[in-house]
Amino acid sequence: MSCRVGVDVGGTFTDLVGLAGDGAIEVRKVVSTPEDPAVGLFRALDEFETRESGSGKREPVDVLVHGTTVATNALLERRGAKVVLVTTAGFEDLLWLRRQDRADLYDLARDHPAPPLARERVVGVAERMGPNGPLLPLTDAEVARVAHAVREVAPPAEAVAVALLFAFRHPLHEQRLAAALRAALPRVPVAASHEILPVFREYERTSTTVAEAYLRPVVGPYVARTDGEARRRGVCELRIMTSSGGTLAPEAAASHAAALALSGPAGGVVGARLVGEAVGITDLLTLDMGGTSADASLVSRGAALFETAGVVGGVPLALPAVLIETVSAGGGSIAWVDDGGALRVGPRSAGAVPGPACYDRGGTEPTVTDACVALGWLDPAHPLADAVRLDGAAAEQALGAVARRLDCDVAGAAAGIVEIVAAVMARALKRVSVARGVDPRRLALLPFGGAGGLFGCALADTLGMRTVVVPPHPGVLSALGLAAAAARVDLVASLHLPLAALNARALEEAYAPLAARAGAELPEATLHRLADCRVAGQGYEVTVSVVDPDPAALRAAFLTAHRARYGFADADQPVEVVNVRVVAERPVATPEFGVNRTRRTLTPRHRTVRIHGQPVPADVWPLEGLPPGHPIAGPAVLAGADATVLLESGWVATVHACGALIAERR
Amino acid sequence: MSLDAVALEVMAHAFASVAEEMGLVLIHSALSPNIRERRDCSAALFDAQGEMIAQAAHIPVHLGAMADAVAAVRAQSHAPQPRPGEIFLLNDPYTGGTHLPDLTLVGAIDADGQIGGYSVVRAHHSDVGGMQPGSMPAGARDLFAEGIVIPPVRLTPDVERLVLANVRTPVMRHGDLAAQRAAVERGAEGLRALAARYGWDGVRAATRDLMDYAERRTRAGLAALPAASSGGGQATDWMEGDGVTESDLPIAVRVEIREGVFHADFTGTAPAGPGNVNCPLAVTRSAVLFVVRTLLAEDVPMNAGVQRAVRVSAPDGCLVSARWPSAVAAGNVETSQRITDVVFLALARAGVPVPAQGQGTMNNVTLGGGGSGTGGVWTYYETIGGGQGAGPHGPGPSGVHVGMSNTRNTPVEVLELECPVRVARYELRLGSGGAGKWLGGDGVVREFEALASFEASLLTDRRRHAPRGAAGGGDGALGRNLLNDRPLPAKGAVRLAPGDVLRIETPGGGGWGKATRERSER
Repeated sequence: MSCRVGVDVGGTFTDLVGLAGDGAIEVRKVVSTPEDPAVGLFRALDEFETRESGSGKREPVDVLVHGTTVATNALLERRGAKVVLVTTAGFEDLLWLRRQDRADLYDLARDHPAPPLARERVVGVAERMGPNGPLLPLTDAEVARVAHAVREVAPPAEAVAVALLFAFRHPLHEQRLAAALRAALPRVPVAASHEILPVFREYERTSTTVAEAYLRPVVGPYVARTDGEARRRGVCELRIMTSSGGTLAPEAAASHAAALALSGPAGGVVGARLVGEAVGITDLLTLDMGGTSADASLVSRGAALFETAGVVGGVPLALPAVLIETVSAGGGSIAWVDDGGALRVGPRSAGAVPGPACYDRGGTEPTVTDACVALGWLDPAHPLADAVRLDGAAAEQALGAVARRLDCDVAGAAAGIVEIVAAVMARALKRVSVARGVDPRRLALLPFGGAGGLFGCALADTLGMRTVVVPPHPGVLSALGLAAAAARVDLVASLHLPLAALNARALEEAYAPLAARAGAELPEATLHRLADCRVAGQGYEVTVSVVDPDPAALRAAFLTAHRARYGFADADQPVEVVNVRVVAERPVATPEFGVNRTRRTLTPRHRTVRIHGQPVPADVWPLEGLPPGHPIAGPAVLAGADATVLLESGWVATVHACGALIAERR
Repeated sequence: MSLDAVALEVMAHAFASVAEEMGLVLIHSALSPNIRERRDCSAALFDAQGEMIAQAAHIPVHLGAMADAVAAVRAQSHAPQPRPGEIFLLNDPYTGGTHLPDLTLVGAIDADGQIGGYSVVRAHHSDVGGMQPGSMPAGARDLFAEGIVIPPVRLTPDVERLVLANVRTPVMRHGDLAAQRAAVERGAEGLRALAARYGWDGVRAATRDLMDYAERRTRAGLAALPAASSGGGQATDWMEGDGVTESDLPIAVRVEIREGVFHADFTGTAPAGPGNVNCPLAVTRSAVLFVVRTLLAEDVPMNAGVQRAVRVSAPDGCLVSARWPSAVAAGNVETSQRITDVVFLALARAGVPVPAQGQGTMNNVTLGGGGSGTGGVWTYYETIGGGQGAGPHGPGPSGVHVGMSNTRNTPVEVLELECPVRVARYELRLGSGGAGKWLGGDGVVREFEALASFEASLLTDRRRHAPRGAAGGGDGALGRNLLNDRPLPAKGAVRLAPGDVLRIETPGGGGWGKATRERSER
């Protein structure tokens, strides 16, 4: 029987979700091992393989999909390779000049994070391409000089980035240099900007190429080692999650290292999309609330939204990534009172260590989780995943300090904390919806992560949304998304032509090389053609789907998308196609989820909780194992193994056959 | 009705979110590189009384002065009062504007038939007519030479046609104005959505309380500064000519903090000059407000409450409080920088640990040509970053905009795709930051090679008086403007032929403290 496994390595826990061919979902959670994340990964796998079947080892895993933070952490902690950058002479300082805006409008001392290499490690090349081709030819002697100069850099290059002006359009000089460098330094990875990101804007392209070089020597060996270990354990195939929500084979991942920068959060969005599909809702706002931060994203017509401009660890990356808006709002976010008397939450977090005060692990500052305990949303009698017990007295003591400064009681302080953290998350949700011209009122909210379900109703009310979908196993939805993610290749080519100058055949021809490459890199995949368009002269492109290569249809699609996003579209203005993109996807069978066959009837327990400052009697249900169709009226608390859900007054939820909880505003 | 500590924070997020959306709509849909790439634009939300509720963090010189635009629209004496849903356009520096290229749209937000507030978007258009392409002419002697002057008027199709008939690049202006209008409407929708949830009474209570809160924080922050007990300080700094005269023009200020209120008095400043480094008092207030904001904690919300704790006075008709019809193009971009410099210097003398001076200029480069049978008319405007001054705790950042600007660069690949210009060199000007315990930030070198004949107008400063170091630190290097290696004056217009190279070297920032070792730390 086939079995797919997703493993999501987080800061605190490593989550594993196994999808058996019969639709059964199994979950494992082990403590993460930051010094070598693979240790935790394989411990989770060991637990999965041995424990459940009891009588011995189960069938081998067919596919193991890994969401990794190796690339993310290397960028955040600046632990990548020693890179040498080869760039057009006269422009060696590009990474230090950035886009010239300062790091903070009013904090004059603050500087941008330093680029991931020292300025001495940049080699300038005498060459120059312009918009129409070579302006200064690249001589063979110069190629040889550059190869020599790169070899002489000390300490020796562990990876080389080549990024020349206008290489997105005229890659010849880059190609020659990359070939010479690969010959001269056969053991050193060489990343060229026309291969990594053939689109205009030199700073973002150079930064992305440098990030690729910086990460390859980190990602490559990690992926290879994990792959070897997985095979040794009988796993048939390892796949690695990318920022764009698809998976790559280990070899491909090693040469798309920068595409793994948001590997972790992408899994959650895929999982959210799948749950939406299972319950028949295709338009969703998603919110993953963890310990230190919350990630908001948008699923529109059953597809995740993408963007191509991001910054990870202070390094701009212009690769396609699932749209994620991160805010400092998590269970561990610390509450404090500023010197103007306002209550504030975050951005500091108690993290996993020392953790919220109620964890009793040395934390003394009040956190969002402490507030949830004080409000009765979390039950001290109900242990968390790794046998952490909640200490109600410790939570109240920590909150007491804030309450005294606000001149209110502990319950009042706790109510304020949860309201503020909800406002912070609402802003992130608005950034991915309202700010893009999407009206949240026609979407359903899908909260997940350990704490997401506690805020679903409050956030939906703030944004005027009437449906909340709590997925099955909300605490491990990212791992579930990994297990079910499609294989995917993202390709892009620069075009920069007015739409008026293109006919159907020219458009078709623009896509042909990309389609051929996609076919070679991912056989038997479905190809999607996309185009980055803009009104001639605009600086930002709107990406639209190219269903058939008809310029008139493309123009209409662009104007519709532009109007939706910006509120206007001028039909008289010439439209330009800046880039063409091909996305190849090979989906895997959609999981059946655990078809819920529970028949037993349950009776709730009761507890008093505080909602919007008022104590109310609430029903307390288990989150797992409720029979399909079972109605639950708010106020109610649903406590699960890895997450808790708060259903507020005015909301009525029904258990869906797939195990999700669908709450509607009444 | 007064909001508690929680509602205050919740509403602060809600308002900020609306202003952010306005900014995104403008930047993502505007046509000109100056708005979409460099983000030389700002968005803010005002209440029905014209007080700023929230801003998107963009360009300081815009944000401090936008309240005057709303005031000008509300005070219209020759037209019927603004009606809900109407959108006004203005750029007149003497009626709510700053300098002519900053076209400002003020939307009166319809709140059930009343005006519920104002949604305001200001953007620097890279041509509004006048004597030189790009409308940042060195050598202008009055306002009329700088472009079309627009008092607050309703933005009707006729008005737009009139404006477009007076500019060199009407298609781009039309596109940028459409983007600005969309941003204004997004702001109105955002505020209405908040009112739908909290009621207009709730929104009004929230704005009032947020402003009171910001004022409280500002006064507390100011009262805690050493200058609050030291009796204040005074300083003088200079503008290096005004494009007509080459002589130094002093800007003098006396700064005091009394009972949590910041007073800046510019008595002693030179009278308005014949050139265009003059500025209206709105710009001066905006520069002082910027300095005050840097003295406050990071999380003080930027709204009208901060402004209430700032008092600025200047003799009528002086350089920093110019009268109609003095030319002002460079006042907004250059004199505003010097005002922040001189206010910081006065604060330093009053014992406040502020950073050394940064580059103190925006290095305005305006290019333009074409027309007369040679094809399309084009204009291009950019400003160039430089060194930031070092502070008591660390070095000054290099290659950034300081003070009243925070625009981005235009990518080399964008500039070369769109204009007959080649960037021959773009790099840090190593060693240009002042020496000290902490080094000043380095300036920038940018070389433009002409691929066609066109005109270049330069409005720059700090070519004679270097950015000063602080606490014993060395001065930053002077900036330089060179045409084919020959020095050009700080302000002036030149004609370039194909192959000519215009090189701008921007100033370094001042260093902080005496260098204690061979090599300074950085």
